[in-house]
Amino acid sequence: MLLSLVLIQKLYIGCALGLLVFVAHALLGRVPLSYNVRNLSLRWKTTAMTALAFTLVMGLLTVMLAFVNGMYLLTISSGQPGNVMILADGSTDESFSSLGYSDIGDIENQAGILHEGEQPLVSRETYLNVNQPIENPRPGRPNRRFVQLRGVNDPVLAGRVHGLSLYDGGTWFSDAGVEEAGEGMSLIQVVLGEGVARVMAGDRTDEQRRSARNPDRLEVGDTFSLGGRQWIVKGLLKSAGSTFDSEVWAKQSLVGPMFGKTASSTLVARTAGPDEAQKLRDFLATEYKKSAVNAQVETKYFENLSATNTQFLYAIAVVAGVMAVGGMFGVMNTMFAAISQRRTDIGVLRLLGFTRGQVLLSFLMESMVIALIGGLIGIALGSLSHGWSTTSVVSGGGGGKSVVLKLVVDQTIIAATLAATLAMGFFGGFIPALSAMRFKPLDTLR
Amino acid sequence: MSKALSVEVRDVHKFFTRGGERLDVLNGLSLDVPQQEFLALMGPSGSGKTTLLNLIAGLDTPSSGEIQVAGAVISQMSEAALATWRTRNIGFVFQFYHLLPVLSALENVELPLLLLPLSAKQRREQALNALDIVGLADRVHHRPGQLSGGQQQRVGIARAIVTDPAIIVADEPTGDLDAKSAEAILELLVQLKSSLGKSIVMVTHDPRAAQRADRTLHLDKGRLVESGMLEHA
Amino acid sequence: MKYLSLIFRNISRNRVRSILTALGTMVLVLVVTLVWSVLDFLQKATSEKNANIKAIVTEKWQFPSQMPFSYAGPLSEGGPREKGDYRVKPDDSMTWQFYGGSLVQDPKQRNPLENLFAFAMEPRKIMTMMDDLDDLPKRDPKAAEEFKKVIEKMEQTKNGLIVGKDRLKLLNKTVGDKFKIYSINYKGIDLDFEVVGVVPPGRYDGSVFMRRDYLLDGLDQYERNNKKKHPLAEKTLGLVWLRVPDQPTFQKVAKQITTNPAFSSPAVKVETSSSGIGAFLDAYRDLFWGMRYLLAPAIWVTLSLVISNAISISVRERRLEFAVLKVLGFRPGHILWMVLGEALLLGLSAGLLSAGATWYFVNKVMIGIKFPIAFFPAFFIPIDALWWGVMVGGVAALAGSLLPAWSARTVKVSDVFAKIA
Repeated sequence: MLLSLVLIQKLYIGCALGLLVFVAHALLGRVPLSYNVRNLSLRWKTTAMTALAFTLVMGLLTVMLAFVNGMYLLTISSGQPGNVMILADGSTDESFSSLGYSDIGDIENQAGILHEGEQPLVSRETYLNVNQPIENPRPGRPNRRFVQLRGVNDPVLAGRVHGLSLYDGGTWFSDAGVEEAGEGMSLIQVVLGEGVARVMAGDRTDEQRRSARNPDRLEVGDTFSLGGRQWIVKGLLKSAGSTFDSEVWAKQSLVGPMFGKTASSTLVARTAGPDEAQKLRDFLATEYKKSAVNAQVETKYFENLSATNTQFLYAIAVVAGVMAVGGMFGVMNTMFAAISQRRTDIGVLRLLGFTRGQVLLSFLMESMVIALIGGLIGIALGSLSHGWSTTSVVSGGGGGKSVVLKLVVDQTIIAATLAATLAMGFFGGFIPALSAMRFKPLDTLR
Repeated sequence: MSKALSVEVRDVHKFFTRGGERLDVLNGLSLDVPQQEFLALMGPSGSGKTTLLNLIAGLDTPSSGEIQVAGAVISQMSEAALATWRTRNIGFVFQFYHLLPVLSALENVELPLLLLPLSAKQRREQALNALDIVGLADRVHHRPGQLSGGQQQRVGIARAIVTDPAIIVADEPTGDLDAKSAEAILELLVQLKSSLGKSIVMVTHDPRAAQRADRTLHLDKGRLVESGMLEHA
Repeated sequence: MKYLSLIFRNISRNRVRSILTALGTMVLVLVVTLVWSVLDFLQKATSEKNANIKAIVTEKWQFPSQMPFSYAGPLSEGGPREKGDYRVKPDDSMTWQFYGGSLVQDPKQRNPLENLFAFAMEPRKIMTMMDDLDDLPKRDPKAAEEFKKVIEKMEQTKNGLIVGKDRLKLLNKTVGDKFKIYSINYKGIDLDFEVVGVVPPGRYDGSVFMRRDYLLDGLDQYERNNKKKHPLAEKTLGLVWLRVPDQPTFQKVAKQITTNPAFSSPAVKVETSSSGIGAFLDAYRDLFWGMRYLLAPAIWVTLSLVISNAISISVRERRLEFAVLKVLGFRPGHILWMVLGEALLLGLSAGLLSAGATWYFVNKVMIGIKFPIAFFPAFFIPIDALWWGVMVGGVAALAGSLLPAWSARTVKVSDVFAKIA
């Protein structure tokens, strides 16, 4: 993913440089630019139609790239630089991991792990993917979903290790993890990501939503059902932009057995920084003999999760590439027609002393200007998608995590799209411009 | 309605509006063309001769007045009705031939026949016959680009007569031709009149062309200024 | 169609333009076809069927589902308890266990590409129950006959492995090869395998099938060697698939199973495969929405712009010709249809050609497009794509040529020939 972004950047720089040389050449060579511009505005309908095709293609490309970018940013910002994530040996994903109880205590006492007083900063967690039947499914929508449930031993510690805090008004769940609701009913306490709070808020009936404190999001004190039990929200995690945004956290000793997983799946240990984290990981991976574990620097783990992004980027590249080719044929048509309409003009220009090269350049500029006008509008429209929330799935080959991500339009994307625009304008105009260049001046005047 | 008349133009006015200004092109013009007459219309540019020709050919409708052509009052017809009427009753010959470059001579001549309920075979026969009349039986499969100007105009004339219309309308048919070709085209028109009994209305600048007509009318500022009757055998 | 040849001539008049327009149409139709194929496949996979319903039984709460193997027998019959309960026929069920491993013993040296992930099941059921293989005899009787032999071979070879062609290539093995797999999920149960055949090309090109009794033997062997059960011994059964004739039977079987106390720890759920897939795909719903309502329409509009542009240019160049045709007696409607006809002929034929080529290339040459959504390894172009192509090309051509055709229709003869003033 990083590699492809770097490549795009390189491509852009290359194109920008090319354009600069091009413009400089055009100005120094006194290409009859005003003539081309005048013509563009004279044939404004054709120009507008061609430009509109660019607007659509580039607008789409912007949105698609913003999606991949959002996914990428989500995965890189989910990990803490100083954290080491420890899974059972052989498990590539938390869903499949199961750690022995005795191993946990020993790992927690390894050097390099930060302490808070006596307490090592290690969060013991059980990651569960739980089926949640949806009580009032919307028409045409499934009647169940997967909820990502994380049983944590100590929520305060877990929040500290993952760098997450709660929105005002929320509290971490109690040590017991449950509270009485009268009539012998008990409620399981949870804190949850804002994203999943919004998703679950959509399960309520319209009537329930009208009387709710917040129709769009579960708030502190709201309840939901899962696994045949009622659960109460104690706090909302400030988790936007990370995979934790889609997670529900509850007491590990309660939810683990409830869903058939008594062992911890994951340990997350906090060290002083990235270097220390790398050291601890290397130690656990190579020298630690007591038990075999799969230790990864947390940022690396999340980077692997973005393997999906590369696949998406690949798919987008194919789609965008094909669309660009289609658009290019459109530009070629426009330019061929423009040139055949102006055969005489070209002859006159040549007789006045303009060179073949200047004629070529002037028509190339013309097609690139059309592309640029359309492309810029497309990028501007596509940029409106910045900040849209969408659901998706990230995975690194093992189990996937469904996530709520925001589309992010940034400089790199604008640059890449702009480069694609100019490239399309260039290639679309090149062959027609070549043909214009090859007119014999006297023939055209006959 | 006199049977002997092909064209009757009665007190026709035609004006155009250009940039908000009214431009009177024909001012109460009246004109008769008997059957089987070859009439030449002359006049300086802007005199209204082409407008008059267009009105007779049913390409345009007058602002006021009445026009009867081949027994039909065409001044009141709708555009669609005019189109259908034109196919059967008018043959149009253009100065610049206006053949479709993608079609062969035969196909160009066949073109108006597509509008009539004829079989492919009938269309072909009729088109070949028309080309034979204009003397191009050996050029039927040539494209316009492969024919000389005079030959192209012959194809244009063949196309004009292929539906067997009573009236042929020609707008400067020799304007784009050298003297020799022009003479041959005029000869052809005269023959069409005498052997096929067509009425011909021709607009021209060329006095020599007008000489081949039975009668020449001069237009100026939308009126007929003088008419002479010249007999040709 | 006496005008057809005229329309055809006009299209071939400016060859470069027509070819460019046709090529543009073809590539854009290609994208729409691909996008729709994916959406269509998912739509079909998630829409409920009324007959021959496939049901999935899994653990009620947890994903991934891990049930004890003791569930396998009774669940395969539909969990009947009383007389009158529906009994699923033997060929109408299958069980799935998953065995993952690598050719490389040292976990640190492993390359994910050399891993394999096998469905452990009864060989016979591969052809009677697996989606897209259960209809092989109908689709391709010859391939089915050959695959039957592969399955017979597997039934005689306990450690036999049937591998998809892509996976086989990644593993760098061929049929007949024998090798050891070091398990990733069943730690301590490393097994020797022999490749007995290849899955018919298509959906399972990346998949591997092994015998379930071979995995169960491995679990027993582990218990004998280590004097304790393998940690996954009671969690080895992933899914049970059942085929039932209709909805009422499905409801009945679902009730039989969910009310049967034998399946209470862990509890199980029964759902149709389409609803199970639907729940799984729900996470991608925004993506699908974008594909359906942003991507495909925008491409479609782009396509009609490209066509519209080409047709406008050609109409503008031919204003005089249209006027001549009008003089010859052609009515405005004739001219309108002639222009629409040119666009339509171009759009329809380019659309059909593109969809046909896409269908052939993706299905017969590439054998499916690998698009990373959910657990579907490859997507195919349905035969319906042929009429999609025609429709996409045709509608875009019609939309794109309407305005230019109208402007051609309204060419005023007297304007074009006006020599007045």
